[in-house]
Amino acid sequence: MSATPREASPIRAFVAQIWGSIFRHGLPTTDKVAARTALTNFFLHIHPVRVKKSAIRVSYTLCLGGLSFFLFILLTITGLFLMFYYIPSIDQAYQNIKDLQFVATFGLVIRNMHRWAAHGMVITVWLHMARVFYQGAYKPPREFNWAIGTLLLLTTLLLSFSGYLLPWDQLAVWAITVGTNMAKYAPLVGPYTRYLLLGGRTVAQGALIRFYVLHVIALPLIGFLLMVVHFWRVRKDGFTGGL
Amino acid sequence: MATVVGGGNGEGRRAVQVPPGPLARPSQRPVTGPELTSPPLVVRRREEEETVVTFPHLVWKEFLAGLAAFVFFMAVSIQINAPLLQRANTAITPNPAKAPWYFVGLQELLERFPPVMAGVAFPTFVIVFMILTPYLDRNPSRRPQDRKVAITLFTIYACLAVAFVVIGVFFRSLAFNWDWTMILGHPGLSSPV
Repeated sequence: MSATPREASPIRAFVAQIWGSIFRHGLPTTDKVAARTALTNFFLHIHPVRVKKSAIRVSYTLCLGGLSFFLFILLTITGLFLMFYYIPSIDQAYQNIKDLQFVATFGLVIRNMHRWAAHGMVITVWLHMARVFYQGAYKPPREFNWAIGTLLLLTTLLLSFSGYLLPWDQLAVWAITVGTNMAKYAPLVGPYTRYLLLGGRTVAQGALIRFYVLHVIALPLIGFLLMVVHFWRVRKDGFTGGL
Repeated sequence: MATVVGGGNGEGRRAVQVPPGPLARPSQRPVTGPELTSPPLVVRRREEEETVVTFPHLVWKEFLAGLAAFVFFMAVSIQINAPLLQRANTAITPNPAKAPWYFVGLQELLERFPPVMAGVAFPTFVIVFMILTPYLDRNPSRRPQDRKVAITLFTIYACLAVAFVVIGVFFRSLAFNWDWTMILGHPGLSSPV
């Protein structure tokens, strides 16, 4: 956006000032300007400025980590829309879902997307783990980032599991009943864990509000924090690439 | 694409092709002396060394992948509705009552092993073992041909995990008993489910 003196006009200068105040560079036509773009942009700063060509081959990464993050964002946005309609009460939750399906504009497609993207994320996170294992990318110096990735997989499963209860239909309640019954078998702490999780002895209002809070606040925050550390360390520990 | 580093055949000619990009390392041998007639010392794939600016190369790929994923999930969501059964009723237990599909593998284990093993010991072992994997695997090589044991073990684990989920979802019906008819159809009925 460098205006030559010949075409300089007050309007052009004004536009150039606005552009220059937002982006500290021109259009990224050369590598040098592109590098500056990545360096000075908050959102692009998640990436290093340069990266080994072999590390970003689609046939190497299969885009699985990136897709997992994309699905997390998609789930956050669709989840936000669902929260406008959903009330975590056993008297209203089911009707809210029915309203989303049949009354709210685009409610059906948003709910469908939230559901399928959640299943998709479980799959992409798991495949990402398998991809990293088969390429030995967990080896030093990336041992700890693998551990964080394992916790992210667990968080993903728990996010999906906690969301399963919220529609309060037969599928939801009985799947959570079966799932939380497994926790009961842990020696000593088992029954207490289940009681803590359900806020009672059966899947009822106490369980619904606990799963709701876990699903929309606690677990996404934990997941987000783990992701921040995961991405940070991907950069700091370096990329693998090229077997 | 191979780049010959450290080889050469005499003065007057540039024998060393310096890999492109700023990562061209100064550690390459100076091209002087009679030893340059020897065969190439190191052959590296050029692609391993070559770097690109992440913006736009990587960002563009991410954008396309994200767009493809969005289109895919939008298409699926328009076509297939998320399941919603009757309102929850604690007095009526569905038969079978199944966990979500990613935990159905655990439910399958519960059918086969004592609860403390299937519900607690196995999952805990898998999680702890997975976190410790990089510390237990002392093999420094990343090449598949050097990692036969690790790859075999992980493949066995992955196959078992997938198999248990598939069994739980597609081959378990009433009372969580084995049932071929969900996939193969009932002999008395015309079309499989």
